[in-house]
Amino acid sequence: MHTLLLAGAAAGLDPLAWTIVVVGISIVFLSLLVVYFFFRYILTYILNFKLKSFARKKGIDPAEAQTARTIQSGEVNAAIAMALYQYFNELHDVESGVITIKRVSRNYSPWSSKLYNMNNL
Amino acid sequence: MAKRKTWTILALLVITSLAWLAFVKPEHDRQKAQTETGIEASAALPQYQPDNQTEEGFLAGLRQFWAFTGFRNVTSGHLIMILVGLIFIYLAIRYEYEPLLLVPIGTGILIGNIPIFSDGGMNLQVGIYQQGSVLNYLYFGVLKGVYPPLIFLGIGAMTDFSSLISNPRLLLLGAAAQVGIFITFIGALLLGFAPPEAGAIGIIGGADGPTAIFISSRLANGMNLLADGTPVKNLIGPIAIAAYSYMALVPVIQPPIMRLLTNRKERLIRMKPPRAVTKTEKILFPIFGLLLTCFISPSALPLLGMLFFGNILKESGVTKRLAETARTSLIDIVNIMIGLTVGASTQADVFLTKESILIFALGAAAFAIATTAGVLFAKTMNIFLPEGDKINPLIGNSGVSAVPDSARVSEVEGLKADKTNHLLMHAMGPNVAGVIGSAIAAGIMLSYLG
Repeated sequence: MHTLLLAGAAAGLDPLAWTIVVVGISIVFLSLLVVYFFFRYILTYILNFKLKSFARKKGIDPAEAQTARTIQSGEVNAAIAMALYQYFNELHDVESGVITIKRVSRNYSPWSSKLYNMNNL
Repeated sequence: MAKRKTWTILALLVITSLAWLAFVKPEHDRQKAQTETGIEASAALPQYQPDNQTEEGFLAGLRQFWAFTGFRNVTSGHLIMILVGLIFIYLAIRYEYEPLLLVPIGTGILIGNIPIFSDGGMNLQVGIYQQGSVLNYLYFGVLKGVYPPLIFLGIGAMTDFSSLISNPRLLLLGAAAQVGIFITFIGALLLGFAPPEAGAIGIIGGADGPTAIFISSRLANGMNLLADGTPVKNLIGPIAIAAYSYMALVPVIQPPIMRLLTNRKERLIRMKPPRAVTKTEKILFPIFGLLLTCFISPSALPLLGMLFFGNILKESGVTKRLAETARTSLIDIVNIMIGLTVGASTQADVFLTKESILIFALGAAAFAIATTAGVLFAKTMNIFLPEGDKINPLIGNSGVSAVPDSARVSEVEGLKADKTNHLLMHAMGPNVAGVIGSAIAAGIMLSYLG
């Protein structure tokens, strides 16, 4: 009964409402489809073309050129790994809290000598 | 823990509804009856009389002070909204539930519901709806749609489109989830909302707070006139609160729908790892994305223009300082402004209405429909995709633009089915596509109903 009422009300809606729904969904799909096609086909084609010309210039295989462009060299990876290792393993943010200043056993020290007092200069 | 959160949210909704029925509605009816019988509600209240010489000076001063206090002007509606604000702050601090949103909004609700003396239309220039007040000036950014594009700028500066570039077909999932917006639009029309109001309510289905505020500030701002000369209702507060509340509830709303619509075999699908994306592609994506989408739907320009601009700042690599500002300081400042003013705009007399409850119900339906559409579309795509290149339908829910919450839900649900199947990277594709899709849908609503 309730569904029938809703269906009746839906039938009585302004035709503009249905136009907005149909056009709206279509435009959302169309916009994202256009972006999809551009990035899936056109951009890939352009980038492949650039890559091939780069490979031709360097005289290497396009697959190798792709690898050379996208993969970091071993030295760079080693430097990153070293930096990460140092960062995570050589941190000492938490100190023990034990004061390690040792008491000096001797009574005399030039640092506390009255002989070297500024007034005696 | 999650169950406890769910029960707290449900309790909040039930308390608000009961309190509305118990306190606000009778009072509203009483005021309506008084208006109909020609008795002004304010006539029964003591009036401010600055030249009253008959009263003793001290007593008159006290009476005047009392008339201006919140205790004299408070209504049950104010108390309910203050309770809601306190619960928002509690949820944010106790459970860390979207604290960056809920603390400013919750505090804003408290600020907006301090009772202010306004008998005889007196303007103390204090409240958010009183012209000349500081809050009113800040609210200008919401009313004129200034804040949402600035938030989009920050989002663009922090978004990595790599997963979308490496697998562009995931864009379609972002489009499919926007069906929720349009079905909710029809639902709102059937419930008696005017077309511009229904358009603004429908955007809740996009699961995007800034977009919802942007559209409601343009379509349901209480100022525009309908064809018959009556003004549209001011629904900015209820729509914004509904959108942000349901965004916070994404981990509760989506998983049951996802499990219901998929079988175990589908949940175990492993997707191909995304390929490496070059810097050139990352730079070209925002440029061509902007040109292609805005040429088709120019009304989405304020949102998409800023989104892609932010992303160009990030990916160009030569404007690091600007990108850093956009994704940290700027977005934080705007979040403070938007959260506070949207919260404050939920003044009891504007917010506690029958329409607000309907908006909350429609918002829940919108989220459910959007999630369903995303998951079903992923399953439909699988029919046409070759074996070994299929999509795990658990990422379909990420087509709604609640970034990155819905992608996180995909990851968690994927791990429940297979502890080694990580879907987060794949789910980020439809998630950011959802941001673009909801902005386009918003543009369409604006072009038809604005």
